[in-house]
Amino acid sequence: MLVWSRSGRAFVWALFALVFTPVVLGPLAMLVIAAFAGDWNGVLPSTWTTEHFRDATDGTNLDSVVVSIQTALLAAGIALVVGTWTAIAARNAPRPVRRIADAVLHLPVAVPSVVVGLGMLVAFSDGPLLLNGTKWIVIAAHAVLVVAFAYATVSAGLDRTDQAFADVAASLGASPLRVLFRVRLPMLLPSLSAAASLALALSMGEVGATIMVYPADWRTLPVSVFTLTDRGKVLLGSAVTLTLLLATLILLTVVGLLRGKVEDRRSH
Amino acid sequence: MTATATVAAPAPNPDPPSTAPKPGRPHAQKFVNSLWILPPLLLVGGFFLYPLALVVKQSFIAKDGTVGLGVWRETVDSPQFTDALWHTVKIAVLSTAGCLVLGFFLAVVLAFVPFPGARLVSRLVDTILAFPSFLIALAFTFLYGTAGVVNAMADELGAGQPLVGFLYSPWCVIFAEVTFYTPFVMRPLLAAFALVPRDRLQVAASLGAGPWRVVTRILLPEAVPALAAGGSLTLLLTLNEFGIVLFIGAKDVTTLPMLVHAKGAVTFDYPGACVVAVVEVALSLALYGLYRFVFSRTGAARAGVVA
Amino acid sequence: MNAGATKPASAAAPPRPAASVEDAPHIAGAAETAAGTGAGVPAGPTPTTPPAIDITGLTVRYGQVTALEAFDLQVARGETVALLGPSGSGKSTVLKAVAGFLRPTAGRVRLTGRDVTHEAPNKRGIGVVVQNYALFPHMRVADNVAFGLRARRVPRAETARRVAEALEMVGMAGYARRYPRELSGGQQQRVAIARALAIRPPVLLLDEPLSALDAALRADLLGELQRLRADLPDVAIMYVTHDQTEALALADRIAVMRDARLVDLDATDRLYRRPPSEFTAAFLGAANLIPAQVVRDCADGAGDAQARVGALTVPADPARAFRAGETAMLVARPHTLGIEAAGADGTLPATLTGSQWRGATYRLTCLLDEPSGVEVRCDVATMDGVPALGQPVGIRLPADPCVLVPTGTQR
Ligand SMILES: Nc1ncnc2c1ncn2[C@@H]1O[C@H](COP(=O)(O)OP(=O)(O)OP(=O)(O)O)[C@@H](O)[C@H]1O
Ligand SMILES: [Mg+2]
Repeated sequence: MLVWSRSGRAFVWALFALVFTPVVLGPLAMLVIAAFAGDWNGVLPSTWTTEHFRDATDGTNLDSVVVSIQTALLAAGIALVVGTWTAIAARNAPRPVRRIADAVLHLPVAVPSVVVGLGMLVAFSDGPLLLNGTKWIVIAAHAVLVVAFAYATVSAGLDRTDQAFADVAASLGASPLRVLFRVRLPMLLPSLSAAASLALALSMGEVGATIMVYPADWRTLPVSVFTLTDRGKVLLGSAVTLTLLLATLILLTVVGLLRGKVEDRRSH
Repeated sequence: MTATATVAAPAPNPDPPSTAPKPGRPHAQKFVNSLWILPPLLLVGGFFLYPLALVVKQSFIAKDGTVGLGVWRETVDSPQFTDALWHTVKIAVLSTAGCLVLGFFLAVVLAFVPFPGARLVSRLVDTILAFPSFLIALAFTFLYGTAGVVNAMADELGAGQPLVGFLYSPWCVIFAEVTFYTPFVMRPLLAAFALVPRDRLQVAASLGAGPWRVVTRILLPEAVPALAAGGSLTLLLTLNEFGIVLFIGAKDVTTLPMLVHAKGAVTFDYPGACVVAVVEVALSLALYGLYRFVFSRTGAARAGVVA
Repeated sequence: MNAGATKPASAAAPPRPAASVEDAPHIAGAAETAAGTGAGVPAGPTPTTPPAIDITGLTVRYGQVTALEAFDLQVARGETVALLGPSGSGKSTVLKAVAGFLRPTAGRVRLTGRDVTHEAPNKRGIGVVVQNYALFPHMRVADNVAFGLRARRVPRAETARRVAEALEMVGMAGYARRYPRELSGGQQQRVAIARALAIRPPVLLLDEPLSALDAALRADLLGELQRLRADLPDVAIMYVTHDQTEALALADRIAVMRDARLVDLDATDRLYRRPPSEFTAAFLGAANLIPAQVVRDCADGAGDAQARVGALTVPADPARAFRAGETAMLVARPHTLGIEAAGADGTLPATLTGSQWRGATYRLTCLLDEPSGVEVRCDVATMDGVPALGQPVGIRLPADPCVLVPTGTQR
């Protein structure tokens, strides 16, 4: 509907392929190839192996997988609760309070992750709350980094759902708590699951803050990848990255399944 | 919303006692409602605003405990810092420009010159948004490194090794960031293009406009809000980008976040790191303000910009 | 005056179009040779000027779906042809293929003899007005209208003059500085027409241009379109609608479409008065179709044909040749029928089942006793003398012979 001639279209598509292939497909393909490469001196590897992949899911790397998943689940859980709570509470608060909450909750998007990590180090290295050296500093940093996204997603979801439903429920005599759990949250389910997915994905891939604060016994996958590549073990690094992508994919699939299950149960 | 709910509620109630609500009850109600927001705000304050404030405070306290502008003067004057600042801004601006051009082209093709499989490609683009950025950098080392695929291929064709050193140049960082952040521009654009009625383009063509004219006169004006919102978000994210620069590991491409990392986690120069952090945050916040402004003006939230 | 304006046109137009209907392939061939041999010899004695729009064998498929099947139509210079048909019958598809918005699976489109089947829409120079106007929201009215002229690099002064002229033509001269969102639906519609006219197209395609408007505004704009038609004597117009009033008011000829095919094509008044098929009779003017038996062999338009309905034998006007004993449909428009007391001489016995007040008339529904189960609608000016609901009545057929059409759909 834009380019009418057949040759013109062919030209545009060729250009698209020319741009898209190196920009999107190339890097992804490289990663997969590298993860299974044995000897790699030419254009393509001369031998193939699953050794890196086995290494990536074994020993310290397996520990990293578990650490990453635990961190992501905890951080995303905290961010989801805090973000949803604020989004809903902000709606019932007076306008100035609402604007302040909105600004504060959006702010972490604008602050570089390294700075969030630095802040954690500065604030929690001594004093009453000593987090430095524990896994909690990593989890706290991740939670701070993803809470803005969780809040924004849920908030946008609230904008789209009609306040009238909650009002009607209240007029029917439902207590605020009942309105929240029976009307508001169920209607927000799509946004909640989107927020959870986003928070999980972001946390799984986080490097900036983690690399500033991580203690030796709590090394996430991205940090492992960095240490590996820094030591020149790029092929193993690729395999670990691939493991990271797979783990993320599994987490997101589980979130999707959970959402489907809740919706199923509701429709019966 | 709260106001209408609380005011309207008593009105239809036929029960005499409650038709005359206690004066001040709406106020009390409002106050209680406001309290609910305190716990999460306190949490975010304690774990985000408080550390940020400490970072600012720390930047004025030298390692030996003297308070003043000493650390600032020392840090800001260092060539390392000016270099990093310059690199950060240059990389962010050029990457964003690249993302805008590339994202606009790709989105126009996907939306208006669709080919079989175009939907699959759109889905792929969405998936990339969930990937960590360092993945691109890692892949780039295989593609464009000195022993990378492109060099090997050129070598085999007898063209020598054209990309020696490319991997460690700022251009490679820019290229990697364009690669990673283009989907951030494409998503709001595709959302905006989905709302453009197809017959508008058809009528434009029937009036004699060729493809280029339709793109520049019809599509570009429609895309401006989405481009502005996607572009400012990308600028913000590229200013703060750390993973890509870290993983490419070019010695002479230092950006502000890299400097924060080097000072804070490698040499443990907290005050110096804090100074750089404050500058970086100020830069981002200024941009973020702009982004929020554009964002609220164009209603980009509904166009799917919110990541 | 408006209604009168179309009548002479429709009376004048038929000879040529009628011929082109009957011998479509032949004419198309002639036009092709004329264009082929006559190139470069403009003064040459061409037997017929090629039609402004010449569509032959046009077929459009979307995968398994056939949106248009072997469609033929010629539109002469200055002629208006309405494409009429139910939703999904392929009307818009014809227009899109002529405008070049889609590539037909088979068939040709020629504009004054030039084959444009594979030409891009921006090279065809056709004016198009679509249902939702598709005004460019970020341009003022004047810029919208100037869009086509600028694309053609018409000089500035000339552009300004032609924009003013086009806006004048649709009565929107005072609105040049407005944005589309600041206009009402009817005004947007006029701007869309002005924009299409500004490029002075020899062919104008209108796809349900009035369907987004309310009834009163639609009537207004219909009058304007008639005036516009008179102002543009050389422009060939294809007008898509599913509203028969628009088709009757504007068109010289009507093409009736159904299920991706052209089913009937004729001069407007002839198609209305003597519909050739059951479908067209019902679609154009909502005629009653009463099953009848042909009494004796008759030819098309035979003066002495007769048909038997129930116990009644009535004179009929056969739309094609019928054999004695064949079942056919009598076409009777609701306003030509009369309701009388049950058992009145020469009436069809029936039962009154419903009445609906429509202001000027009452719409009565009756069930015929024989053939039983056939519903007949009948418009009467007054309810005086009409029996109560549920009572038997007699239906009087019009004095002029009713048209007799074959049963079933024409395929
Ligand atoms: N892009 C498409 N893909 C598949 N089928 C299509 C497409 N466009 C149209 N069709 C089908 O082609 C047929 C004809 O469509 P068309 O738009 O020409 O109908 P129409 O007569 O204009 O109807 P209306 O009066 O509702 O506008 C319809 O059955 C429609 O479903
Ligand atoms: Mg249509």
